[in-house]
Amino acid sequence: MMDYEQIILVPILAPLAGAFVILLLRSRRIWQAVTALLVMLLSLVSSFWLLIQIWKSGDAVVYQLGGWPSPVGISLVADPLSAIMVFMTQLVLVTGIVYAMGAKDKNIQYPTFYTLFLCLGVGLTGAFLSGDLFNLFVFAELLVISGTILTAISDDRFGAEAAFKYFYISLLASTFMLLAIGCLYISYGSLNMADIAMRILMNPDQPLLMVAAAFMTATFMVKSAVFPFHFWQPDFHAAAPTPVSAMLSSVVVKLGVYGFIRMTTLLFVQQSQELKFLLIVLGIIGVFFGGFSAIGTHNAKRMLAYSTLAQIGFILVGIGWGTPLSIAAALVFTFNHSLIKAAMLMLSGSVASRTYKKSAAFDIISGTGKFMPYTGVLFFIGSLALAGIPPTSGFISKYLIFDSGVAVREYRVLFALAVGGLLSLIYTMRAFQKIWWQQKEDSDSIKPEGDRLVAPTLLIVLILALGIWAEPLVQISQTVSIWLQDPTNYIQAVLGATVTMVIGG
Amino acid sequence: MELLTAAAIGILFTIGIFQMLRRNVIRSAIGLIILSNAVNLFLLSSGAYQGIQPAYTDVPQELHSDALPQALVLTAIVISMGGIAFVLSILYVISSRYKTSDLDEIKGLRN
Repeated sequence: MMDYEQIILVPILAPLAGAFVILLLRSRRIWQAVTALLVMLLSLVSSFWLLIQIWKSGDAVVYQLGGWPSPVGISLVADPLSAIMVFMTQLVLVTGIVYAMGAKDKNIQYPTFYTLFLCLGVGLTGAFLSGDLFNLFVFAELLVISGTILTAISDDRFGAEAAFKYFYISLLASTFMLLAIGCLYISYGSLNMADIAMRILMNPDQPLLMVAAAFMTATFMVKSAVFPFHFWQPDFHAAAPTPVSAMLSSVVVKLGVYGFIRMTTLLFVQQSQELKFLLIVLGIIGVFFGGFSAIGTHNAKRMLAYSTLAQIGFILVGIGWGTPLSIAAALVFTFNHSLIKAAMLMLSGSVASRTYKKSAAFDIISGTGKFMPYTGVLFFIGSLALAGIPPTSGFISKYLIFDSGVAVREYRVLFALAVGGLLSLIYTMRAFQKIWWQQKEDSDSIKPEGDRLVAPTLLIVLILALGIWAEPLVQISQTVSIWLQDPTNYIQAVLGATVTMVIGG
Repeated sequence: MELLTAAAIGILFTIGIFQMLRRNVIRSAIGLIILSNAVNLFLLSSGAYQGIQPAYTDVPQELHSDALPQALVLTAIVISMGGIAFVLSILYVISSRYKTSDLDEIKGLRN
């Protein structure tokens, strides 16, 4: 008989077990793909069940690994925030595997491709679910290493170079994370996030506290490619194989977003004023820098990578305002952006797969759109979603951000965001026009078949559905955001009844 | 003793960062190794001064050193070893493709 809490293990253990089974099946490529898909579907279903459970009961699901009570043991915590992030991740990862099954890239035929892909999923899911800082670091490393290898084996000639660049920066970021963990351990003698948060609330005067906060901010900025630490991101996301880059640019960058939400609402609640201000400033810079770079670039995939920079900016501003309304808006934005960006990268990847050079550079793919009208329709809807035009889900997320901005009366920031939002309309329409409206000189230089469009179709349908029927997602995000307003919710859920006495007394 | 450890960690950190910023790829990889060792020493020292006897032996409880940072360092060493092995293998691919070990010459992505 399975305990009710043990369901939290399924999204981590099922892909991890599947990754090893897939290595054993290396002589049968079809079976590898089918196993990967089944395993991911299993963990998608379990994470959906987890989300529903948490939404119904309004309380977190906590599982102590090995039965050791927290804060001694390692706890896995699915609070509402983790649950919605995990569900988003699994959803996008499933479409990524569906896309890989229909893709024609050479690297997908490598026996380790699906293993690494599942490890990427395990790392991301584990980092979201972990209630222990060091465990979060280990899962984040798993994510970084498998993501880098997937990019290094890319068909793109510059895959190895981009992977090298990213891995260097990322190793540096993980040393910063270790330093932050060390600082917190010296000051508070614990690694459990709930325990640390409680001890910080009771004793906020430790000298190393702000040092730890600074190191952790730097780490999460590298993870989600925020403005001064963004330089690896366009190369890395553009050089990765299409199914992988669709994951990297949509869900993997959300690890940093998750980290910032945890920092401002759980770990450093009383000290977060400076951090919130920093997030707003960097968010606005990111919106403009990403937008202008996306307009100036010459490659469709690179354009979308820069666009991620801009869209993360909107999310950071939402987190920076920090009101229940704006955090809910940031969560809706996070969820919708993951689906939109994954769909757009898959679509531009499938356009590139029709050319013989397999490149998404505009001078190669311009005019190829004439031969794929269906891709054009999907790309157009995706562009509308990215620019935030109804009836797509992108409109809902931008509307909520602006709504929460009006509520806190930050009109100057809102004006900057509105101008920055217009940039996204310019670059997506520019890409659409280059690919679908220009004439192609030699129509022979196009392959009869490219990557299959099942996965992007699924995502676009979801985007439209979430645009028209946005109610459930918005409601869940608001519940999450209200839960996040009080850090004692999380602390009590993890540490149990012992804490109530300490806080009360 | 505290001062010596702190100074050693600081110096290792400086050397690591300095070497990481060099143009030669091998030097910068070695800088990464030194840097991760500096961080490991820092983590180890975060639990060292409660007591200096090995934990879980016959000595009294208050003389025990804290065993948790030692376990953390073990994990961190394994992870950084994996990372550095991967960096070196990727460096091999890149330097054999570009026939150079100068980072400024490796600029395929910069066009």
